[in-house]
Amino acid sequence: MAVCVAVIAKENYPLYIRSTPMENELKFHYMVHTSLDVVDEKISAMGKALVDQRELYLGLLYPTEDYKVYGYVTNSKVKFVMVVDSSNTALRDNEIRSMFRKLHNSYTDVMCNPFYNPGDRIQSRAFDNMVTSMMIQVC
Amino acid sequence: MGVSDTPTLDKHLSRQQETRTPVVAKNKDLLILTYGALVAQLCKDYEKEEDVNKYLDKMGYGIGTRLVEDFLARSSLRRCHSYSEVTHIIAEVAFKMYLGVTPSVTCKNSSRNEFSLILDKTPLSEFVEMLPAGRSSLCYCSLLCGIIRGALEMVHLAADVTFLQDKLKGDSVTEIGITFLKQPEEKKYRWKQ
Repeated sequence: MAVCVAVIAKENYPLYIRSTPMENELKFHYMVHTSLDVVDEKISAMGKALVDQRELYLGLLYPTEDYKVYGYVTNSKVKFVMVVDSSNTALRDNEIRSMFRKLHNSYTDVMCNPFYNPGDRIQSRAFDNMVTSMMIQVC
Repeated sequence: MGVSDTPTLDKHLSRQQETRTPVVAKNKDLLILTYGALVAQLCKDYEKEEDVNKYLDKMGYGIGTRLVEDFLARSSLRRCHSYSEVTHIIAEVAFKMYLGVTPSVTCKNSSRNEFSLILDKTPLSEFVEMLPAGRSSLCYCSLLCGIIRGALEMVHLAADVTFLQDKLKGDSVTEIGITFLKQPEEKKYRWKQ
């Protein structure tokens, strides 16, 4: 289960960031911020290879002793970053991929809202509910 | 709702039906996104929501007067004999053909001229979760009201169409109310003898 979910815009500012309230939120914000460097590195590394083979799911960005950070980037350079608990070893790669897919689908629905301007903070209730469901249980 | 007089006209209409492509929800997303962009732009252009609602209704009226011809050509229906039949046709045939949903029809009063169409989900507002702050009196689907009003007027039925309940404003369903009004007396023209 995710302890922190963040959506970062193309210009590297957060569109949506939420973490489980028990922990120190600032720590997660800092972790997401540092992970952006790793994301950029991965994108540029893959860019040198054939562009066709570039995948959206970036995989494990970097592990710390308590947490693991996963990344996903869309073709419009919007990044999704997810921090999960290291102790939860039951989480497999496929599950993380499906969580990111759900995030991407919800993000697409938010974009389709005619009153949402791209670049604004995400304030959709449906998106909040989906993230809550991801933080409570593994999908 | 329409009557075809001569057999040649009948054949022409049915031929038209075969060559026309069916109205399918293939580009439904495009329609929904276009409508959303239209409403968002109107909201930016006009400050008051009443103006936005009024112009959406006007646009719908223009669409309805033209759409009814297309509708009558595609669905060769017989003449209706009561307001209740008309409302049922709007709900079961027209809505299904163009929007892919079938609202349920209820009659509101005993004199049989007030009806309401109840929709569980309006297809046009599929991606809009809630109205933005400060726009709480916006009737997002006012276009639909205008379309129904324009279409009915072209078949010589005057009606008043409004939204009674709206899911975007927190109600449980979306309800469109149609009130058929009495026809004003038409002037009879006399040939000069």
